[in-house]
Amino acid sequence: MPAAAVEPSRRFREIRLTTGILARNPSALAGAVIIGAMLLTALLAGVLAPFDPIHISLADRLQPPSAAHLFGTDEMGRDILSRIMYGARISLRIGLLVVAVAGGLGTVIGAVSGYLGRWADGVIMRIMDVILSFPSLVLAMALAAALGPSLTNAIMAVAFVMIPKFARLVRGEALAVREKQFVAAARISGEGSLSIIRRHIIPNCLNSVIVLATLAMGETILIAASLSFIGLGAQPPSPEWGAMVSVGRKFIMDQWWYATFPGLFILITVIGFNILGDALRDVLDPRIRR
Amino acid sequence: MKRSALIFLVAALAVVLGTATPLPAAGRDVLVVGVSSDIHTLDPAVSSDNYDWRQIYPSYDRLVKYKVINGRGSTEVEPMAAESWTVSGDDTVWTFRIRKGIRFDDGTPLDARAVKFAFERTLKIGKGPADNIGAIQKVEAVDGHTVRITLKNAYGPFLQTLATDAASIVNPAVMQHAKNGDLAQGWLATHTDGSGPFKVVQWMRGQRCVLAAKSDYWGGVPRIKKAIIRFMRESADRRMALERGDIDIAEGILIDQIPALEKNPAIKVLKFPSQLVEYVYLNNQKPALKDPRVRQALNYAVDYDGIIKHVLQSNGIQMRGPVPLGMWGHKEDVFQYKRNVRKAKALLKAAGFAKGLKLTLIYSERRASWEQIATILQSNFADIGVTLKLELMSNPTLRDKVDRGDFELCLGAWSPDFADPFMFMNFWFDSKLWGLPGNRSFYRNPEVDRLIRKAARLSDQQKRIQLYSQAQDIIMQDAPYIFLYQVNTIVPMRKNVKGYVYNPMLESMYNFESIYKE
Repeated sequence: MPAAAVEPSRRFREIRLTTGILARNPSALAGAVIIGAMLLTALLAGVLAPFDPIHISLADRLQPPSAAHLFGTDEMGRDILSRIMYGARISLRIGLLVVAVAGGLGTVIGAVSGYLGRWADGVIMRIMDVILSFPSLVLAMALAAALGPSLTNAIMAVAFVMIPKFARLVRGEALAVREKQFVAAARISGEGSLSIIRRHIIPNCLNSVIVLATLAMGETILIAASLSFIGLGAQPPSPEWGAMVSVGRKFIMDQWWYATFPGLFILITVIGFNILGDALRDVLDPRIRR
Repeated sequence: MKRSALIFLVAALAVVLGTATPLPAAGRDVLVVGVSSDIHTLDPAVSSDNYDWRQIYPSYDRLVKYKVINGRGSTEVEPMAAESWTVSGDDTVWTFRIRKGIRFDDGTPLDARAVKFAFERTLKIGKGPADNIGAIQKVEAVDGHTVRITLKNAYGPFLQTLATDAASIVNPAVMQHAKNGDLAQGWLATHTDGSGPFKVVQWMRGQRCVLAAKSDYWGGVPRIKKAIIRFMRESADRRMALERGDIDIAEGILIDQIPALEKNPAIKVLKFPSQLVEYVYLNNQKPALKDPRVRQALNYAVDYDGIIKHVLQSNGIQMRGPVPLGMWGHKEDVFQYKRNVRKAKALLKAAGFAKGLKLTLIYSERRASWEQIATILQSNFADIGVTLKLELMSNPTLRDKVDRGDFELCLGAWSPDFADPFMFMNFWFDSKLWGLPGNRSFYRNPEVDRLIRKAARLSDQQKRIQLYSQAQDIIMQDAPYIFLYQVNTIVPMRKNVKGYVYNPMLESMYNFESIYKE
């Protein structure tokens, strides 16, 4: 059994302890509730949504909020609440995909860079610095525009700009873990670099990656919504929140509800991920923990 | 995180509030017009776009101009640079006597030589405007101030065509800017050089175009000193700017916002029945759209009544045939497509697209309603199994693509420049006019070509109506376009703006020389 791994019973205790601390933290709880609600909405949109999100019904266009249409209707007579519910799927899927891709690649890149050190570290981290030197939204805009406006391209663009955030974090941790006794032991006993990175370095960085991933979810959703807002992300008739705000702003003076509700949902979701991420950081940091 | 939130907020605010730096409220001698999109070119021999003509037209004089009768623009003409004219018995030789003393800015006189130069230049360049004055066979300067124009054949609307933007008289001295035989097209694309009441003094792409009045204009000095055309993409921006008084006239306001504007006591909303039509170019040269059955299917898919009732709020009627209501040659009993999903599906199936079809529609925000029309088309087409991808682009980019035929479907608008069905029947369907000049569906039918070309050469109106009528029946079956609707032109302006004259032949153009502010 490698030194870095933890026996199952201990891991279980860890998780219980973590959730225990989290549950006592009100902001973490609020974050978790928001995210949970969003997840549920996204999963059950097909059942919960009162209307078809893309079916147009011109006779019902631009209706103010009412019992039939809680959030009103848009310029095509589509129910805004239903569109927001389906939009939750898109936003969360973007968030998860981007975090999975950027987190996965970033972690590997960071771990390799940190563990190998020397010139490999230098080259990799300089490349990451170049990416980081651009404001993420601007770089994502440029990439999405170059790739052509579509949701897939927007996801790739956002994932690309998120990679260095993970790489830098993991590389820092890897530098520390590399010096640990169990890594030296593994190396002496003949384990290859790749295997050490996979079995020792990466597992020991996971806590920080989880925290960053949560925070990154919020940022990702925001950037993706911004891209859709300027027409580089989700394309019509997709009920993406940013795209809805974008069209809704044309009607903002007389039909306030159109841009307001999707905007509110972007706000709430991003806040949810952020406070949960902050709380996770507090909880998972061993220095604060006990 | 916080920073990107801020960026998002700022970006959103910037878009909502208008990206242009706020200008101080204009004085009484400056008229500001807020419009939806940037312009394309300022060369009267190249542009086929009323949005360009808005700037070009007041910068030049023409031989004749449309008469204003009871405050309304008409299709009758009266003298402008020509003080009188005579015509031969067979209506083919026209002799114009040019007013003396008109000069271009550099002192060059506007004389017979200038008229000859301008017309020959336009005809030689051979773009869309050349077709407006296409009846001309030759132009001769008889003496300094007499010009004789010989037509290929008698042509009823000939005098009217001389009042269109295409007949603008360009200063012959522009040739000093000619490069590689381009007849100064490069220079005139961004400058004006005419003897008109105004002159373009600044054009900042994406921002504004400024016209300055000439203090020595022969036809009377304009009452405003400057006309500023501000490019403001958002209808909501233009509306807000109008309500604040930052602009005096707002073009292309979403019909949904009109009722609120009408309630504002500082604003008047003028509505005019127009001959402006909106339609969809189906690129007949693209693989799937080559098949007339596919084009018919798309025609059957559209919910015309829904669009007119709800998006236009009944400020328009469905087109019946290509010639709009109010223009002679309009055929009241020509076939008209109505939404029929079952028929559309059957046609698609017959064409071999039973499993569906993917098409792309390009559009710009030139007309505020186009985003909605595009979304409705997407939904209507989905009902018959056609997946429509929407691509929004800037108007100049869109026009380049249309000219090259680099599109499948595209939203368009068209209005006549003179009162003759030629404006629709010949421009839209003649296979010699592919691209921006007029045949934007890249349609070719030899029989239609024959009929409309024959009609264009005749002067007998009844015979022409007959030929155009035959052509219309073929066209409706070939369905090269989707004819959507004919709309009312709505012009909201501040109440203190006076003297505005609307003419359906001069759509989106302004009589800056006689508009004033109280």
